Amino acid sequence: MRGTGLITGYLAELEARLPATIVEELADGLEEAFARYRESGLDDDSATRAAIAEFGDPQLVAASFAAACPGRRLARRLLLTGPAVGLCWGALLITSRAWTWPVPDAARAAVGTVLLAAIAMLVHAALGHSYRAVTRAAAAGCASLTLLDVTMIIVVLGLSLRPGWLVAVAMTTSGLRIVHNVQGLPRLRAG
Amino acid sequence: MRAEELKGHLDSLLLAALEDGPRHGYAVIEALRQATGGRLDLPTGTIYPALHRLEQGGLIAGSWQVVGGRRRRMYRLTPAGTRALSGKRAAWRDFAAMMTAALEARPCAEPA
Repeated sequence: MRGTGLITGYLAELEARLPATIVEELADGLEEAFARYRESGLDDDSATRAAIAEFGDPQLVAASFAAACPGRRLARRLLLTGPAVGLCWGALLITSRAWTWPVPDAARAAVGTVLLAAIAMLVHAALGHSYRAVTRAAAAGCASLTLLDVTMIIVVLGLSLRPGWLVAVAMTTSGLRIVHNVQGLPRLRAG
Repeated sequence: MRAEELKGHLDSLLLAALEDGPRHGYAVIEALRQATGGRLDLPTGTIYPALHRLEQGGLIAGSWQVVGGRRRRMYRLTPAGTRALSGKRAAWRDFAAMMTAALEARPCAEPA
């Protein structure tokens, strides 16, 4: 069946949008659907058309996979928990008068820029319709947040801030997020 | 039941379709269509992502097998999936019993 132009074209449209393993699974399902329609008495051409019609528009199929992809879940989780982590760090930065820290302005600007870029990428991953774009944006956003968490922990350790519960809470939330991201990143299929 | 209402219960229906043992994706979807009397009008290709979502949630587990020279992804219920299905089934029974009682109750005739 795969030799027919219709099926080849259909799978090519899916291949342009989805990882190879997903297309392989769908191709197997299409074969199965084709065999059922042949068994029911349709000729090759009609069975092929019926199987394709049953599977649905490739764009719709790809968008459904994008909505359920691991990158989307990861991005949504990070966007949901982000404000709590931000609040902990915000409280620590204000109470420890972060504006008096001996940190170059360029470094402060870089941290702010990476944070904004990470949020933008995660929002794109949470709302996008393309599987590959969602996966890439989620991976980039997740990696950027991890970089920020590591940077902030190193800065606080380097400054030897007076220990307190705010330092402990901020460091712990970032530490937990680093562990979560390091575990989650490999699960994103690059596609 | 209308197709829209069925879609809201897609996860339960997919888990139930795997209760009798492992199946490949298309067989799950076929079992689903038979169980719902063909009233679930979703395109087949858009039901596969729901299987992937259940797999990410740990309720089903997927693995590749080679059948007839081509690779096929098989799914089975995990212990967490079995528990989730029991919970969903119990919740549905409670809801159905409550609705039946509420909709089929007749007000008592007032005494003359």
